[in-house]
Amino acid sequence: MSQSTAEIDELIARTALRDRAAFRALYHRTSAKLFGVTLRILKDRAEAEEALQEVYVKVWQRADRYAAGGYSPISWLVAIARNHALDMLRGRKPMADDLDAALEIADGAPDPETAAIGQGERGRIDGCLGELEADRAEAVRGAYLDGYSYEELAARFDVPLNTMRTWLRRSLIKLRECLSA
Amino acid sequence: MSRDEQGEGGGEDRVLVAEFALGLLDPAEHEVMRRRIAADPELRREYRLWRGRLGTLDEGFAEAAPPAGVLERIEGRLFPAAPAREGRARLWNSLGFWRGLAAAGFALAIVAVGVDLLPRPPLTGPELVAALEAAGSDVKFVAFYDRRAGTLRLAALSGSAVPDKDFELWAIEGKNAPISMGVIPMDKSNVAMPPSVKQAFGPGTVLAVTLEQKGGSPTGKAQGPVVAVGTAMAI
Repeated sequence: MSQSTAEIDELIARTALRDRAAFRALYHRTSAKLFGVTLRILKDRAEAEEALQEVYVKVWQRADRYAAGGYSPISWLVAIARNHALDMLRGRKPMADDLDAALEIADGAPDPETAAIGQGERGRIDGCLGELEADRAEAVRGAYLDGYSYEELAARFDVPLNTMRTWLRRSLIKLRECLSA
Repeated sequence: MSRDEQGEGGGEDRVLVAEFALGLLDPAEHEVMRRRIAADPELRREYRLWRGRLGTLDEGFAEAAPPAGVLERIEGRLFPAAPAREGRARLWNSLGFWRGLAAAGFALAIVAVGVDLLPRPPLTGPELVAALEAAGSDVKFVAFYDRRAGTLRLAALSGSAVPDKDFELWAIEGKNAPISMGVIPMDKSNVAMPPSVKQAFGPGTVLAVTLEQKGGSPTGKAQGPVVAVGTAMAI
């Protein structure tokens, strides 16, 4: 675990104990990253700021569940920010808290495939994306990083909606095979 | 292809989980999938796999400094009773200032041990500082009293809040009973000075922090352990 990961880990743990000073420190340490997430997906500063507020309210409320998920701390925080921004973007109902929690909890021992990520296997998804055709890999990145919907991806890549859907679903199957190979 | 990937239905579900993780499903499909994943350990495992793998793309999110004042608005929503911080002087919020003050406070505290038996030094200025700490405790505060303004400011240097407990601040003059100055947050705060404390506050006044039940000692007398204590010194 890198020094900064350990530091954020500790701040989340102290936030779970209702330590407001730790929560402030956590905000100062991570808000630029999370604002980067909400801004990239929502593409509007006012909405991104509103989202950022909601995200840290959730972080305060859910910090006690962080350890149960087994994710790296920054990945846990980014997921909260990304999911919230996507909820806003898609007009989805905000996640019911208990249901959301059920999704996050690791079952039993750490999943070796998930745990491996923590050990610095960073290049792997890039490698697997590299095996896809360039524009299909771009579509996957666009869906993840920009929150593009099938409709937006179809427009951006100038293909019919059903073609985009087929493309991306096939790409995801290939990616899944590559990632678990 | 691994052995458990051959089932037709399983393959379709895997794509659905991947689409869910990417956020590609429409709101109705998304909601259905969310409930299915929450209820099914196999799907949950698949979701975690995608989240973990896709999470390595997180580096692609460039940092962007959020506008000023967002933290204050978040705190205003989470802790409505907390005092507004936005109007605080910049110096007060400067970590460097507090570190400097803390260093000065600890230095003075060390000197204080040596001069404890001597007559109290004459008042040299309107400001007083106290470094609060105790053996066996990681809770450390620094207190700063401006006699002209009549304000006592307090900041935690280390230690963390204890669940279902509160820290309470006490002022002690000589052999008098400690006077409660109320519950204090693990943060920076302005402490309201009871008139009796304000009147007597000077070099030699002892400040102590005890760990009390939520809301502070109900009896007006300290009940919990002393986690930090220090003597006010003129600076």
